[in-house]
Amino acid sequence: MRANLNDSSVNASRPSATPATGAFAYAVRPTLDPRTKLFLLLAANLMLFFHVALTTQIVMVVLFLIPLAAAGRWKTTLNFAITYAAFTALGLLDPDALGLPWLHVVSALAVGLAMMLPCFITGAYAFTTTSASEFICSMRRMHAPEAVVIPCVVVIRFFPTIAEDYRQIRNAMALRGIAAGGWGLLRHPAQSLEYILIPLLMNATTVAQDLSVAALTKGLGREGAHTSRTRIRMGVLDWLAMVVVSVPIILDMAGVLR
Amino acid sequence: MTSPNTPAETPNQPAQSVSQSAPEARKPGKLQVADLITIGVFAALYFVMVCIATLVSTIAMGGFGSIFLPAVAALISGCVYMLLAARLGKFGGITVMGVVIGLFLFVSGHFVLSFIASIVFPVAADLIARAGKYKSKVLLLVSYMVFSYGLTGPILPLWFMKDAYVASLQARGKDAAYIDGVFANINTGSFFLAMGAILVCAALGGWFGQKMLKKHFVKAGIV
Repeated sequence: MRANLNDSSVNASRPSATPATGAFAYAVRPTLDPRTKLFLLLAANLMLFFHVALTTQIVMVVLFLIPLAAAGRWKTTLNFAITYAAFTALGLLDPDALGLPWLHVVSALAVGLAMMLPCFITGAYAFTTTSASEFICSMRRMHAPEAVVIPCVVVIRFFPTIAEDYRQIRNAMALRGIAAGGWGLLRHPAQSLEYILIPLLMNATTVAQDLSVAALTKGLGREGAHTSRTRIRMGVLDWLAMVVVSVPIILDMAGVLR
Repeated sequence: MTSPNTPAETPNQPAQSVSQSAPEARKPGKLQVADLITIGVFAALYFVMVCIATLVSTIAMGGFGSIFLPAVAALISGCVYMLLAARLGKFGGITVMGVVIGLFLFVSGHFVLSFIASIVFPVAADLIARAGKYKSKVLLLVSYMVFSYGLTGPILPLWFMKDAYVASLQARGKDAAYIDGVFANINTGSFFLAMGAILVCAALGGWFGQKMLKKHFVKAGIV
């Protein structure tokens, strides 16, 4: 399924079969195509899978940080860069030379986390720079079944509602003097869970009905292809990013980078 | 208005789909748009639960704490699962929820292979729940326990972590026997501990969820 997704992401860009809708859709986009982001994610996962050498890892992390910085997420980029540098340094420690065997725990943890960071970097990039409609549009383009697309739309749509409900529930609880204060929730975990989750679920069932009615009115239940106002297209930059990211991995597998 | 959303009893299901618009009436018991939206809403809640579980297990147990992530998630999200099963009562709901969760975990930077776990276990859970027609309490509890293993995907990289550290030690010229000694009991022991913890926590969480369901939702006539 994974490989399929990736293949179709490459193929689907060719025909560009969507009818012309948004007039300004081809204006300059600061970020990459969602399908390229998917490719970056897969590349990061591939690195995890194949245990790339340290040199490759460093090169890849730098490469992954570039689009994040280009999207204007300077702070996130910097955080990731510093974290990665710290973990790499910790991982290179030699516990035996220092005479502290317990440092193995720290060192192992650092190596492991440094390994997982590429995934988190690409994940953060994909998550923070993709709009809901872009996400949906690319999923449809990759022929994901409606049974998956629709719940995804709802999930994205529903997150803000949960946050809002949570604030109101906490206010109501505070008004009644339940679990007020910072650590109040932790004093009776089961009770807190009940008092917060049950109203959320009650509301969820109502919202589910409202959303169904609204969505059916807007024609979400229609069979056949859906059009989208958002247009996504693979540009030169996207192909370039894919190639540039693939090169170090291929070199690593070929044993050139060590 | 409520007719598409009432939990469908198996006998009147075909009648219900016929009453729906024509293209949806093809397969009885097929998930309709209203069902998919319900699943989406519950998947969102479940995802929030997973995030809370990640936070809790990381704060409580440090970096390796994420090995207990599925257990903590299982402990707190029983209500969500039970309510979804009770409201939907159709095959496919639990599966779709698992897949959507897996997709979101992947996009937010988790390991690709976690996707396999988040398909296989929910399908199994769905089949078990269907055997009890989504009504049998015992089977629902068992299906929840199986479903909870779907979250083991995100902790798979820990296994790779060990390999990576061993590789990096070897690269620096340590001998393999010594390295294995460092890790021998940490890995397998904690692995079985985590798997056992999922089972226990899922049983507790599922039981709590069923209790809450009875206390709040059955009385209010929502289920």
